[in-house]
Amino acid sequence: MKSWNITGKILPALVTLVYSFLWVPVIILIVFSFSNDKYGIGWKGFTLGWYSEILNNVAVRNALETSLIIAIITVVVSTVAGTLTAYGLYKYKFRGKEILRMSLLLPIVMPYIVTAGALLVFFTRVAHIPLGYPSILIAHISFSTPLAVFVILGRMQRIDWTLEEASIDLGADRLTTWRKITIPLLLPAIIASAVLIFPWSLGDFTVTFFVAGAGTTTLPIYVFSALRWGETATINAIGAIFVALPVICLLLVTLLQRKGVRKSW
Amino acid sequence: MVENRESIPCIELRNLVKRFPGVTAVDHVSLKVEKGKVFSLLGPSGCGKTTTLRIIAGLETMDEGNVLIDGKVINDVPAYKRDCSTVFQSLALFPHMTVEANISYGLERRKVPKDEIRKRVGEMVDLMGLGGMEKRRPSQISGGQRQRVALARSLILKPKILLLDEPLSSLDRKLRKEMQVELKRIQREVGITFLYVTHDQKVALSISDIIAVMGEGKLEQVGTPTEIYETPRTRFIADFIGAGNIFPGKVIASGNGRVQLETEGGLRVIALENKDIRSEEVTGISVHPELVELLPEGAGLEGDNSFEGKIVEMIYQGDFIETRICLDQTGGLITVYLRPDRKTQFSPGEEVLVHWSPESSNILLG
Amino acid sequence: MYLPSVGPVSIWNILFVIAPLGFILYFSFLTAGPFGRIVPIFTLENYLALARATVAEVFLRTLLFAFTTNMLCLLIGYPLAYFIVMYGGRWRIPLLFLVILPSWTSYLIRLYAIRTLFGRAGLINSALLSLGLISSPLEILYTPSAVVFGLVYGWLPLMVLPIYASLVGLDPYLLEASADLGATSFRRFFTVTLPLTKGGILAGTILVLVPCIGDFLVPMLMGGAGAFMAGNLAYLYFITAANIPAGSTIGIALTVIVLLILYLCIKSGGKETTERIV
Repeated sequence: MKSWNITGKILPALVTLVYSFLWVPVIILIVFSFSNDKYGIGWKGFTLGWYSEILNNVAVRNALETSLIIAIITVVVSTVAGTLTAYGLYKYKFRGKEILRMSLLLPIVMPYIVTAGALLVFFTRVAHIPLGYPSILIAHISFSTPLAVFVILGRMQRIDWTLEEASIDLGADRLTTWRKITIPLLLPAIIASAVLIFPWSLGDFTVTFFVAGAGTTTLPIYVFSALRWGETATINAIGAIFVALPVICLLLVTLLQRKGVRKSW
Repeated sequence: MVENRESIPCIELRNLVKRFPGVTAVDHVSLKVEKGKVFSLLGPSGCGKTTTLRIIAGLETMDEGNVLIDGKVINDVPAYKRDCSTVFQSLALFPHMTVEANISYGLERRKVPKDEIRKRVGEMVDLMGLGGMEKRRPSQISGGQRQRVALARSLILKPKILLLDEPLSSLDRKLRKEMQVELKRIQREVGITFLYVTHDQKVALSISDIIAVMGEGKLEQVGTPTEIYETPRTRFIADFIGAGNIFPGKVIASGNGRVQLETEGGLRVIALENKDIRSEEVTGISVHPELVELLPEGAGLEGDNSFEGKIVEMIYQGDFIETRICLDQTGGLITVYLRPDRKTQFSPGEEVLVHWSPESSNILLG
Repeated sequence: MYLPSVGPVSIWNILFVIAPLGFILYFSFLTAGPFGRIVPIFTLENYLALARATVAEVFLRTLLFAFTTNMLCLLIGYPLAYFIVMYGGRWRIPLLFLVILPSWTSYLIRLYAIRTLFGRAGLINSALLSLGLISSPLEILYTPSAVVFGLVYGWLPLMVLPIYASLVGLDPYLLEASADLGATSFRRFFTVTLPLTKGGILAGTILVLVPCIGDFLVPMLMGGAGAFMAGNLAYLYFITAANIPAGSTIGIALTVIVLLILYLCIKSGGKETTERIV
């Protein structure tokens, strides 16, 4: 009985504290993004100015564009590659399977700075790949594909694979079976990985900064420079967008799921 | 036994072998399935029956042997081109498609025109009693209905052969009985050859024209349900089929159309002589529990196959009472199925007499 | 048959994941020349430099910060995960997402948010100043504690997720059986729950410890002079000084440390740990 009281009161208190700890700074950021203060701190009246600034400021707009293009390409390539690879890993036995698995885990478990540095050196001193879109894309895809592989692999373990056999039995060849049965069944996992990869790619700083080179600016890189040079107010608005983005993605997916549930399994 | 006249069997397996690491799942199986019949592969889990079915369907490759459909070897024909359709144990209904879409899937793959598809789907829905369910998803219909959708999906393609892999195992008893009748009715109406795989002998006995019993990858016996049930030829089959009273022994005398065996326990048992079986091959007899009579002690029936014993256990099963008697002479157990209206006549611990007629003794060869 | 599906990614991995690592291993043994050139003279100088007091100090500090962060994340994150699983009911998933969402936002932005709050010109200081409680702004950031705070802030969500997964996978009947056999809830926790969630704890440790060891943003944005970490060293060599061999050496050293930690964690955690990471 005594211990119940302890958990009954202390635990919820602790939990509330932790949630506040996590969200208060971010919420304040969002609040200040609407504040008419040049330094972005303190409340001096409501304004949407910083958001329009994002659209009007050429530098910001370009950075946003760059980030979006990179994120979209990354998502597409990673999910496709991830699906193919997960399928191969799940279904087939082959030599080097464990090695492939390990090497897929590498980008995830290595500290960002090591992979970032390694890629920079590789691009500039060895492979002579131009810094900019090519290098950033390669880096992002290298990080995102393993994520897609493991998310989709996880789902694969819960699928009834006799469905593929039934499709073949009914007269569909491998390709058609893939198109009509396998992919639709994997779709939740594919979308889940896209939802994870897109915000990551959009908001990544460390690796991107290392391999971006002088000419290419993504949104996080812009934020970093702006921090250095003290132009802080717009950053609040940009930050708010970064926070809102995963929330929106999540809501979209939940909505799609709910609509789908009425019709699906 | 299957009569092979001039007609070409619908399915023929010749010396089929399939090995998995550590086990030979299908061990030189040869059989012939006649067109339009219901042929069952019966056996315990792991006996190789499902693997055999999958090889015929094209979902597994064989290591040795040949599969022929209508006399043509189809070893290398891919599964999606074979003229057989499988109903899976898990039913494998596509969860993201409606009942309609599931049923029409195979037709769409064959590029059948849309209105023809609609027509045939409609007919099939009527045949299966699925009216009103067309737009629903598999998760929204009952188990029995799902069963019928799986059947419909396969039958609509008018395959030469329907392969069924324990499709009724997930249903409850009542539903299973209904579906058995349904299956038989559909098969008669449609006339397709059924190859049915099951571990449940009750189902096999009730729906099959021919049963093939498999054990550890090998074919043990092929015959009509009556033959398999009343005259199982090996100990394995007798045990599996429920002819639980098995007496290993050897023939010691024969004549007058009867043979006498001495069992390992020293019992003298009489069976009817079978002209096609040599005495040296006989390894014992089996008797079905329902064919053994239970009589009170001293009933005075001195005759063949009468033994004294004591009732050890009486287990109520509803439609009969499973009674175990310990034979005085050997200490071995014999099981008798007692009719429920006689249950008050006996009680555990009582001395009784068991008896069965020589016709009821089934000769075992292995 | 498997080649077309795993082939492309395998080749990609060899080119862009394994090869780069191989090359910095190679470069770590070479000498740095002027203007960022790499002179192909074999030397162990870079590795010997690691033992120098200044460098060793940085590494030791890094490990200290990382482990402290990890412990804090565990002490905060485990009760949080426990609460969500045991008392969350219908709200489990939303509550979990509420913890995870911040980690999907840009790391940089979140650190900036902390600066907004605690910085010299930040909200707290402005509020305290305007209330007249202090006369000059407090230096909340730019202390070692601030760095640990920032690291915890950044990586706490990643500790929660595997522990959550581990707790959810617990068979509730085990706890019931334990209670049935007379254990109080404290004992139940320490003898049943905690050991069974070991895999989740170790997975969370890996997910937190490893990034912390290589982090350079937190020290850079809120650390100041006394909080220079290994990540900053790497940044210094790779970006600022263009000293590739030195930077590569830092990278390799970090890799070795991380691999050691991974090995230890997986060894004691077993298979569950690797599953929980994913």
